[in-house]
Amino acid sequence: MAKITFTDIGQTYDKDPNQETWALKPMSMTLESGRSYALVGPSGCGKTTILNIISGIINPFQGKVFLDENDVTKLPTAKRNVALVFQFPTIYKSMTVEQNLAFPLVCRKWEPAKIKQRVGDIAEQIGISHKLNRSASKLGADEKQLISLGRGLVRDDVTALLMDEPLTVIDPQLKFELRKKIKQIIEGKDITVVYVTHDQYEAMTFADELLVMSLGKLVQRGTPEDLFERPNSKYVGNFIGSPAMNFFKAEVVDGFAQIGDYRLNTAVNLKKLSDRYLEFGIRPEHVRVQGGPGDNVLTVDFIGFDDLGSTRVLNCLFAGELIKVKVPRSFEMPEQGLIDIKLPKDNLLAYRDGLQVL
Amino acid sequence: MSRIFKYSFIFIWSAFVLTPLSWALVTSFKPPAAVNNGATFIPWLQFQPTLDGWKDITGISGYANLFPPLINSATVTFFATLVSLTFGCMAAYGLSRFSYGWKHYKNPDIIFFFISQRIMPPAVLAVPFFILLKTLHLLDTKLGLVLVLTSGLMPIVVWLLVDFFNQLPKEIDEMAMLEGCNPFEAFVRTILPLSKPGLTVAGMFSIIFGWNDLFFALVLTFTNVQTLPVAVVALNGTVTPFWTLCASAIFSILPLIGLAFVVERFLSKGGFAGAVR
Ligand SMILES: Nc1ncnc2c1ncn2[C@@H]1O[C@H](COP(=O)(O)OP(=O)(O)OP(=O)(O)O)[C@@H](O)[C@H]1O
Ligand SMILES: [Mg+2]
Repeated sequence: MAKITFTDIGQTYDKDPNQETWALKPMSMTLESGRSYALVGPSGCGKTTILNIISGIINPFQGKVFLDENDVTKLPTAKRNVALVFQFPTIYKSMTVEQNLAFPLVCRKWEPAKIKQRVGDIAEQIGISHKLNRSASKLGADEKQLISLGRGLVRDDVTALLMDEPLTVIDPQLKFELRKKIKQIIEGKDITVVYVTHDQYEAMTFADELLVMSLGKLVQRGTPEDLFERPNSKYVGNFIGSPAMNFFKAEVVDGFAQIGDYRLNTAVNLKKLSDRYLEFGIRPEHVRVQGGPGDNVLTVDFIGFDDLGSTRVLNCLFAGELIKVKVPRSFEMPEQGLIDIKLPKDNLLAYRDGLQVL
Repeated sequence: MSRIFKYSFIFIWSAFVLTPLSWALVTSFKPPAAVNNGATFIPWLQFQPTLDGWKDITGISGYANLFPPLINSATVTFFATLVSLTFGCMAAYGLSRFSYGWKHYKNPDIIFFFISQRIMPPAVLAVPFFILLKTLHLLDTKLGLVLVLTSGLMPIVVWLLVDFFNQLPKEIDEMAMLEGCNPFEAFVRTILPLSKPGLTVAGMFSIIFGWNDLFFALVLTFTNVQTLPVAVVALNGTVTPFWTLCASAIFSILPLIGLAFVVERFLSKGGFAGAVR
């Protein structure tokens, strides 16, 4: 297992000198050994590019990559000993399942007896022992992905396990099963995992830490709790959580956020700030429906709700802004019309130009 | 309606292709009278078939023997194809997966350079090749002919295979390299086993073009190495009867027809593209 360090890594595919167009804007970061990370972000934000730079499939346009303390920027893929699971199952069609799993070891010129034993162990772990002699091309997509994973794990000394949206091509019913299985397989091992997905739930179930990306930049990294409770930007607030965070504009008056006739206390000390207007954000999960007036309570127009199954989301209008409130299913729906909602002070965060104000 | 159209098209096309062939086939079994006294078509009914024409070209009657030229042609075609496929597939893989270049010339330009060798009329190359082989003392040798043919076959192979390799997902060999192969091992172990359809097509084209080469064989070989097309043309130049000429024509295309049957089975079994995912 190894620590992965990027120093000033940037990537452009067309060598455009204007950095704003780069697929990956220059960035530095460290991924600690033995931890699991999820890279999330919309399509085209550079997730695959990061994985390819770690694995060496592409050489970065600028900057250096380190595995532990070794500079591997110029090292060929084979020498880096990284395991990668692609979005589309990549199996060697001309080989059997067993030959597929043995392939990395054969490349390393292990002894046949040792290979057989190791392959047996791994096949057991990924649960395909009974299919070792099948032709790999005959398997389903989920089993092919397991084999890709198995080929990564069969080397006992991989520096990192990279997965690029491994569940994309899996049927929804199998997705859940396979996700659980992959998690189980990885969990027992002290392995540095980088998991790419654009599904935030997948990211949260897999990873100790999430890295949220946008347009070739790392926007925020942190535990699921960090991203949920303290999104550092409107972008993260919208991207993480469902429904997205509520944002509304308000005037800053005497250290309060003034919206309509109401004055709200916020988590930030607004007195220190010189802004006249700021945007404020609060998670729909933190907004509460309240019996009557009080501190930080707004009277809003409840116009309807969305049923999400286990939860429901109330849509409320206030001074032209839509505020969503997430409640458990057991919550008794009020009549449509005016209701009171409380925006707890500690959960009401301030944003300027899309970035959090602390 | 479209069905009727389809079948009548196929029917007309087959007639178009098969009539001359069957005419030659029938004629090759005719006795002189069946040719000289007006057209005849149906053996046994209109004439009694004989093997005279075939005896004339197989050395039995002592007139001509096309077997040594057949063996020459087969040897030269085989080795030229082998060399073209071996080096051509490596070149094609490189051009498909890595980028090369000098100044603003990139992979597509290199591929065009390969194919441009075929665009050039062979006559342009006749004198240079003649001088080249003469200097190397390879005139009138099989090796010389193999080298020259390879220069014409390799472009076809490279051109076909670049396209084929482009269709195989690059993730396969990237994965192999991740798992510890160097690029050459990745190619041999993971890409080649998936490439049978592509190699078959490229090999087939290479064999057909190599087998049918008349021009270079005519210019660069004389008495020691006579290939089949040269031998057949030589028969034409003397007072060889029609039935013998027809027999020689059929004789020289038989191996390719046999090959077509073998390859056809191979192709439909492998499926051509999309062999992955
Ligand atoms: N080989 C390439 N040549 C040119 N541009 C590329 C290449 N690979 C990626 N890009 C561009 O770089 C940007 C980032 O691509 P990347 O594949 O890293 O995105 P991603 O986050 O993995 O997206 P997705 O979720 O769709 O997989 C995109 O704009 C893409 O068009
Ligand atoms: Mg991607």
